[in-house]
Amino acid sequence: MTDPVSDVSTPPTVAPAPEMATGNAAVEIRDVSKWFGEVTALDNVSFEIGRGEFFSLLGPSGCGKTTLLRMIGGFETPSEGQILIDGVDTAGAPPYARSTNMIFQHLALFPHMSVHDNVAFGLKMKRIEDNIVEQKVHQALELVRLEGYGGRKIDQLSGGQKQRVAMARALINDPSVLLLDEPLGALDLQLRLQMQDELRRLHKSLGNTFIFVTHDQGEAMAMSDRIAVMDQGHILQIGTPEDIYEAPRTRFVADFVGHTNVFDGRVSQIDDNGECLVVCGGLTFRCIAPTGLAVEQPVSIAVRFEDVTLDGTLGSADGTGCSATVTEKMYLGGMFRFETRTAEGVALTSDVTNSDAARLVAEGDTVNLAWRPTNVSVLLE
Amino acid sequence: MTSIAARPANIAKPRSARKPARDHRPYGGYRTALWIYAGAFYAFLYGPLLMIVLLSFNNSEIVGFPFQGFTVRWYEVVFASPALLKALGNSLAVGFLAAAIATTLALTLAMAFRHQFRGKSIVLYLILVPIIIPGIIGGIVLLIFFGFSGIRSSLWTTVLVAHVNWVLPFAFLTLFPRLHGFDRALEEAAMDLGAKPWEIFTRIVFPIIRPGVIATALFSFSLSFDEFIRTIFVSGFDRTIPVQFWGLIVDELAPELPAMAVLIIVISIFSSLIGFYFMWRASRAAATYDRKAS
Repeated sequence: MTDPVSDVSTPPTVAPAPEMATGNAAVEIRDVSKWFGEVTALDNVSFEIGRGEFFSLLGPSGCGKTTLLRMIGGFETPSEGQILIDGVDTAGAPPYARSTNMIFQHLALFPHMSVHDNVAFGLKMKRIEDNIVEQKVHQALELVRLEGYGGRKIDQLSGGQKQRVAMARALINDPSVLLLDEPLGALDLQLRLQMQDELRRLHKSLGNTFIFVTHDQGEAMAMSDRIAVMDQGHILQIGTPEDIYEAPRTRFVADFVGHTNVFDGRVSQIDDNGECLVVCGGLTFRCIAPTGLAVEQPVSIAVRFEDVTLDGTLGSADGTGCSATVTEKMYLGGMFRFETRTAEGVALTSDVTNSDAARLVAEGDTVNLAWRPTNVSVLLE
Repeated sequence: MTSIAARPANIAKPRSARKPARDHRPYGGYRTALWIYAGAFYAFLYGPLLMIVLLSFNNSEIVGFPFQGFTVRWYEVVFASPALLKALGNSLAVGFLAAAIATTLALTLAMAFRHQFRGKSIVLYLILVPIIIPGIIGGIVLLIFFGFSGIRSSLWTTVLVAHVNWVLPFAFLTLFPRLHGFDRALEEAAMDLGAKPWEIFTRIVFPIIRPGVIATALFSFSLSFDEFIRTIFVSGFDRTIPVQFWGLIVDELAPELPAMAVLIIVISIFSSLIGFYFMWRASRAAATYDRKAS
């Protein structure tokens, strides 16, 4: 692991155990469950996070993502199962004995200390010599572009500067795993995008493992190597942003990741060429059949907004299109969003690149919607 | 200025439309009555105090008016009286110690009360009981208790215990909100960065709540300094200022009484004012933190 915060080499806090099962996992979650009284926060979750990965836990509030993060950090104890960091079981280890550091939701900067003392806190607690502390704090402030801010008080900083202090403070001990608990949640959009860039830049230059908790799919998409989509204590899908976006595995994932038309339906026909027809309330979709699909099986199908085109060349009878009336036209800058309704009353949304043809379509017009079978996902759950 | 909001009211009540434009604030018509009430309130509250201050400078052997000339000799009498100075010293010493003990106890109690435990509410009520027990009953109870225990009444035994007992609930009530509202994430962040429990307390929790702790100690001191009813039951031969004062009133209506009263008032007000200052600082710090968090 690189250590740009210091040129003084420090041994890793948790030494890799000799009997380490998997070589490259920074964090291993093994059959972990967590109950708060009667409430199940996490239900038998297992997965691995690779070393140096930017991994996001994505889900609505109450899905268990923060609980999982807090268990990795040592603030909560699993009711069942094991959490391994760098191959070592963390059972019973308090937060100060783990090679993890956390950026808290509201940052939790120490209000009575200067920027310098906030950043230096982790080193002071490790009884590092003063001259090394000074050197490392200087480097850390440089890393987050806050040179010269060491003497400021916390309440003299802007929202973005506070974010940077929190980053420097959490990174100064060069944690094996950096935990981020929705730290960008309170920022306005502009600053949020800036901080996303900043985090990505830090991750690239440092190479530590980042675990990022968020309920914002856009944020998770933009930053992560891999995303775990969570709901009600379960992990529904783990994959790259492309995987999650292009091939959602469950209805919830498709819905949550957004910009998707999702319908419940039934398989009406399976063709020899590997395609099938799914009937959803008056609309028929031609899709690529996943293995093990049976006729009459209830499924959901998902089509992204941008995969529904206003191109009328494809016929509607074969399940690759339909005609519908535009009920709402929204200007989104680079594209238009058309909300439409078919004669059967099914609502379909289509995102179309801003073009002369798209500009001419008005609310109330009847249009031909079309999609490709390869862009229709069949969701079994 | 007639506000837009006032217009519908004018339409509804044509009579008032004839009057010159005027704000329609809630209770606006009671303004004069409120001024009279406030004036009376402050007159009754501070009139007697002002009178005592005047009397303390009155060049007269008899406590009372008319004013017969300005003098500071009653203050000289007070400061020349060994009995009074001894009582003053006793009160200050007991006040400091009672404040220190009660504040420490209140701090540890408040730390404990952040956690859930069985019988929490009962323990809370038990801490607060000394507030609602009438002072004279509290005094008798303490007297009986010390009598049975065979503890001789003196400043550093019975009086100190009585004062801590009296002051503790107030100290707890002042301090608890500071700790109850303390952001746990700060402690978690410190722990995450390697701080052990004791370091979390000394480096994070205590520095942040320090203004509240100082305020609590000063209020505690004020309460102890002024305590009379419980003290007179258990003070024995050691007299505190209020007990000494009481003795002077009962034995003779001494002309230096107003001067002594003024001194007691000044000390009490002074320590309370500093207490309020620290209280204000504590709440301002909390407000700053809330703004930052949101």
